[in-house]
Amino acid sequence: MIEAIKFVVKEHFDNYRQIIKMALINTEKQTVRSSLGLLWTYFHDIVYILVFIMFRLLISGYANVDGMNSIVYLLTGLIPWFFLSDALNQGSRAIIANKGIVQSIRFPVTILPTIEVLSIVFRRFFTFFILLLITTVFGYLQCFSILLFLYYFFALVCLMVTMNLLLSAFVAVSEDFHQLYQAIVRVMVYSLPIMWNFDKVDNVLIHVLLRVNPMVYIVKGFRDAFVQGMTQDVGYTVYFWVCIVVLFCLGSFTQYKLKKHYADFV
Amino acid sequence: MGTKIKVENLTKTFYLFDKDWKVLRWIFTGRGYKKTRETLKNLSFTVDDGEVVGLIGVNGAGKSTLMKIIAGITYPTSGKITVEGKVGALINLSAGFNPDYSGRKNIYYKGTIMGMSRTEIDEIIGDIEEFVDLGEYFDRPVRMYSSGMSARLGFALAVYCNPDIVIIDEVLAVGDKAFQEKSKTKVKELFRAGKAVIFSSHSDALIERFCSRVIYIKDGCIAFDGNVQEGLRLYNEDISKGKSVKAY
Repeated sequence: MIEAIKFVVKEHFDNYRQIIKMALINTEKQTVRSSLGLLWTYFHDIVYILVFIMFRLLISGYANVDGMNSIVYLLTGLIPWFFLSDALNQGSRAIIANKGIVQSIRFPVTILPTIEVLSIVFRRFFTFFILLLITTVFGYLQCFSILLFLYYFFALVCLMVTMNLLLSAFVAVSEDFHQLYQAIVRVMVYSLPIMWNFDKVDNVLIHVLLRVNPMVYIVKGFRDAFVQGMTQDVGYTVYFWVCIVVLFCLGSFTQYKLKKHYADFV
Repeated sequence: MGTKIKVENLTKTFYLFDKDWKVLRWIFTGRGYKKTRETLKNLSFTVDDGEVVGLIGVNGAGKSTLMKIIAGITYPTSGKITVEGKVGALINLSAGFNPDYSGRKNIYYKGTIMGMSRTEIDEIIGDIEEFVDLGEYFDRPVRMYSSGMSARLGFALAVYCNPDIVIIDEVLAVGDKAFQEKSKTKVKELFRAGKAVIFSSHSDALIERFCSRVIYIKDGCIAFDGNVQEGLRLYNEDISKGKSVKAY
């Protein structure tokens, strides 16, 4: 196990330049066939956001939600969610999607999921910028918000990298795992407190069950960063980082076991 | 003369599964495979610098597997392989090329994947452009290329990325006569510079023109290693006898 972790860390450390370069290339790759390129991504995001805002306004009017402007409330949930759904869909396919590379070039395979997540960071950079801009306009941005925002952003990237390290190995082995895990992710994603307030759940059992999903920590955190400041309890923070460590260990172990066989099976 | 590649008792066994997911069970418990197939059995040989080695053998004999092992893409099940220096490998035609990028951009793209820096690629891009001789197609998307044209691009990158060992798997056959001539000159150049070249083909003429030595692989074993004419003769004899035609 220690060996596996050392191996994965070393591969990342030795190839950090390549990770950044390939993430940039990956970001660009999806834009090459359209003349507007990245603008399309932002365009879709904006359309998505506008649709949600429209619905929100139609249903509950322009009223504050839990002491928070309803638009800001929506955006703080939606924008991390864009990132999450992208990272979960594409990240898990990181190895299988780069079949050609795995089969024909000597390449450190364990950095592929990291590259994929990082390229999504680059692509979504502007969207996060919009979030900061809008919260500033509505006067929700304080000094500690930015720090918390950066912290949760870091946590989000960590979660996605470690999760995809594990999942991409499984998905590379068999398509069955991809289907299975997509079903699970769908449940997880829709149980996230994006459109509703997590603290309003009264049932203790449901409350605990929902919190098993470490993504809740992030989505809740992003919102808290702009409203009430740090409201996450210490226990849950510890739980989250323990999750990251466990995922990383499991991911490294699986990748280490599989690394010699990727070219034969993928 | 130094040894570039040293292969000792190399064996590669493929594990076959009836369901994909059983791979995972096998990885962790060592059980669950349906059967095994030994693709390479106990190979031993060395390649020195300045050698152009031709690999011959029927489909499925294990040529590509051997090349992939030398290139570090896949790993042997047992045995040892020592490879000294950088390997430039051209395993399959369109490998690593993005069909939407132009030829020029693809060189940068694949170069980056191979771990080259931008300046390193800048240095060779001129030579590559001249070598592939694609004219305006060099700046057009690779999806518009014919298979011969992509082969040129792949070959050029494999030989110009400053490798110590070049591995070319069955791609020159799609190139036209002029390109084969050019490739031959380049291979000779590499050979003079003391690089080792490993080359597989089903064309006797190509093997004769390029290689200084052949290794004939039959059912995963080395059936012959040495003189080109002798090796080809043996290979053709086996084929006409109908032997070794079925390797799987």
